[in-house]
Amino acid sequence: MNQIWGSMEQYNTVVWHWPIAVYLFLAGLSAGAIISAIVVKWMKGNDVSPWDGIIKAGAILAPVTIGAGLCLLIFDLTRPLMFWKLLIHYNFGSVMTIGVLALFAYMPVSILFLFGVFKKELAVDGPFKFLAPIADLALNYGKALEAITLVLAVGVGAYTGFLLSAMNSYPLLNTPVLPALFLASGVSAGISANLVVGLLFFTHSTKDANVSYLHGLDVKVIFAELFFIFILFVGMMYQGGATAHAGAAALGTGGLSTLLWVGVIGLGLLLPIGLNFALPHGVKHSHAFVIFNALIVLVGVLALRYYMLYAGQTFVG
Amino acid sequence: MAKAYRLIFDENLCIGCQACNVACRLENDVPEGVYRLQVHVTTQGVFPHLGMHFERRSCVMCDEPPCVSVCPTGASFQSKDGLVHIHESQCITCKYCILACPYHARFINPVKNVVEKCTFCFDSRLSKALDPACVSVCTTEALRFGDVSQENSTVAMLSRKETLLFPKAHLGTKPKVCFIPARKGVKV
Repeated sequence: MNQIWGSMEQYNTVVWHWPIAVYLFLAGLSAGAIISAIVVKWMKGNDVSPWDGIIKAGAILAPVTIGAGLCLLIFDLTRPLMFWKLLIHYNFGSVMTIGVLALFAYMPVSILFLFGVFKKELAVDGPFKFLAPIADLALNYGKALEAITLVLAVGVGAYTGFLLSAMNSYPLLNTPVLPALFLASGVSAGISANLVVGLLFFTHSTKDANVSYLHGLDVKVIFAELFFIFILFVGMMYQGGATAHAGAAALGTGGLSTLLWVGVIGLGLLLPIGLNFALPHGVKHSHAFVIFNALIVLVGVLALRYYMLYAGQTFVG
Repeated sequence: MAKAYRLIFDENLCIGCQACNVACRLENDVPEGVYRLQVHVTTQGVFPHLGMHFERRSCVMCDEPPCVSVCPTGASFQSKDGLVHIHESQCITCKYCILACPYHARFINPVKNVVEKCTFCFDSRLSKALDPACVSVCTTEALRFGDVSQENSTVAMLSRKETLLFPKAHLGTKPKVCFIPARKGVKV
């Protein structure tokens, strides 16, 4: 077939660009950071002040990364100053509205968590003395607030997947496994970011036992991610027709497939697993290795978001 | 009573003159580089057995529009006549609808910075009981428009007589724009 008249400019183009990929990464990271911080905080011995470095890292990372992500989202709008209309108009059938509502609730509870953990630095010695009651609230109702935060964080981590999977004209995105994949990789990114920040900035308060626990958990989550990616593509092949065609193209065409194989699967998933099994115990548990490992995981998760967003819009069968 | 609009594009009658495209641009002040409507012309087959194929590309006015269900603010909405419109003042230009539309019918108007698409010329013509601009200028009557619930309308009669194809019907969008496919087939 030969095109002899007609502009293709409006067709086969990428509509959502890299800021959205970075947002998807940051939202997942934020949710994962607070989930893993709460999981650590609930473990025996970690549930009283002074808080472990991991908990401090999660408390800072969760609100900061989601805030940065939301700024990116706003600047990606064609008319950024219109964003406030999103706050007063709702369509409960839209995943984006559900996401906005989840974030509405998630932002305050993640900031509460921050104030609870850093009560001394922020509300006792710091510039936010007038917010001391807020910090007390976060501490007095810690368990209940953290339980709510955990549920909301799972919502934030998974909704970014539903946001893309809700569109039935994109075979790579319109798959039920996407929210699970995004949640798992978000948790992996959150754990890694917590490890990096905890080990670099809160070296003295970060316990080795917690580092080992999270590092071990990360390896398990990475196995889950690998399996989800496998399910995604096998599922596309079994659907046949245009979907199978799009799946094959996404696995083997151009720079995007290189990004998948080298960045997402090689660097982000297989290398951490391989190093974890190959390296001797002493090296594996050194802070330098844990940080290096966490950084490659983070790069892998960002690559996954970028790949899914761009390949999803490119390979439509 | 609610209307049941239908626009029928007869591939057998189209000659690819783009009069519809030009009429649309004039009527709706569509800037260069973006399209509410165009007719894609392709050649098919292998020389010397060639054929030409004409395909209307525009909003197909789904009865089940994905652009409306994904819109977070309700800026993308469906009127009681089933037409899909955009409240410009309510639109945050997140581009979710552009992405969700399986027909790539939506775009950002680079002059006004708002999301736009075909409206069946609702404001300027249809609301005054005039046919959309593309239909009114079609030189070969390849485009027919009307209310399919009126038994004697041209579109109702054509719908009874011809085989109609609804674009990407498998997606369940139930378009109001449909095609009478070329009878000559692809030449090989």
